[in-house]
Amino acid sequence: MIKQYLFYAFLGLAMGFVVARIGFADYDELHRMFIFADLRMLFSFMGAVVLSMLILAPFAKKIPKQHKIFQPGTIPGSMLFGFGWAISGACPSLVFVQLGSGKLAAIFTLIGIYLGVLLHKKIHARYFRWDTGSCGV
Amino acid sequence: MEYWPWWLGAIGLAAVTVLNFLLLGRLLGVSGSWAKVVGWKEDRERSAELKSLAEDKGGMEDALLAETLAEFGEASLKELNDEPDTEEASTRRVIKEEQHTPWTVHFVFLLSMFVGGFLGAIISGHFKIELTLSPIHSQIFGADWEVWLALLFGGIMVGFGTQMAGGCTSGHGLSGCARLIPASLVATMTFMVSAILLSFMMQATLR
Repeated sequence: MIKQYLFYAFLGLAMGFVVARIGFADYDELHRMFIFADLRMLFSFMGAVVLSMLILAPFAKKIPKQHKIFQPGTIPGSMLFGFGWAISGACPSLVFVQLGSGKLAAIFTLIGIYLGVLLHKKIHARYFRWDTGSCGV
Repeated sequence: MEYWPWWLGAIGLAAVTVLNFLLLGRLLGVSGSWAKVVGWKEDRERSAELKSLAEDKGGMEDALLAETLAEFGEASLKELNDEPDTEEASTRRVIKEEQHTPWTVHFVFLLSMFVGGFLGAIISGHFKIELTLSPIHSQIFGADWEVWLALLFGGIMVGFGTQMAGGCTSGHGLSGCARLIPASLVATMTFMVSAILLSFMMQATLR
């Protein structure tokens, strides 16, 4: 039990640190990436995907099915997320790194994400009821 | 200090993704942690339910195992362990994992990302207390209150969107794409293209 807390804490620390050092929490860097003015971070991201793919390939059978399925919300949800990301410069992990870098305005993003997740939970339970195959179940 | 060059960033991010799997036996996914933290009440109830269920099941399994051992000896036990990975087994693993990962663990995960970001910013000298997000962001959105309003609505879109899509940059983008899961590839393309289009539009308003 305590091991799990330690592992998650360690991974969170590593993730926050790495993301901060790459510069993902810096809106200006991110904006320059999105308008293709500076592709450094895009290469970091794509490089990470390729590296992980190569390293994880031998474990393919041991990786539990993440249950990521194509469902009616995949495309509209991703579009909404993409627009929100461009506006706030935050994805669900970046917001914490922005706050950690001293950007107090990100508190509004934090509140926004909390409300968004809560809103989805209510609306989904009531109207959609499809399988979103969410992360980490 | 400068930000990391792209290759170091790639190695760092890949290391986190791979370590996440090696330590936890599952792939990285931050929006899943968000869902657990926001739904803490349900999670607590579910944990309790699963726990009592698992205890019952565990007791029954032990009894069965003892009986098998008495009847057929050690050989049968080995056979039992060699049992292929059936769907039932993987379901059981999922249930087991769920009861062992209460929402508080995910909360610790999110908080430690804040601490990690703080350490990274301090060490690289990027830490600075600011009421806005960045110069370009303020140029796009204007006065402080307009920036905050944009962030609030942007945040709602991010929260709602990631839950609806079933993943975010880490879950779909890093983990899903690294495993070449079709839904994740589609989702990643969609949110990247959306963000790029809107960023170009916002850039156009600056000129």
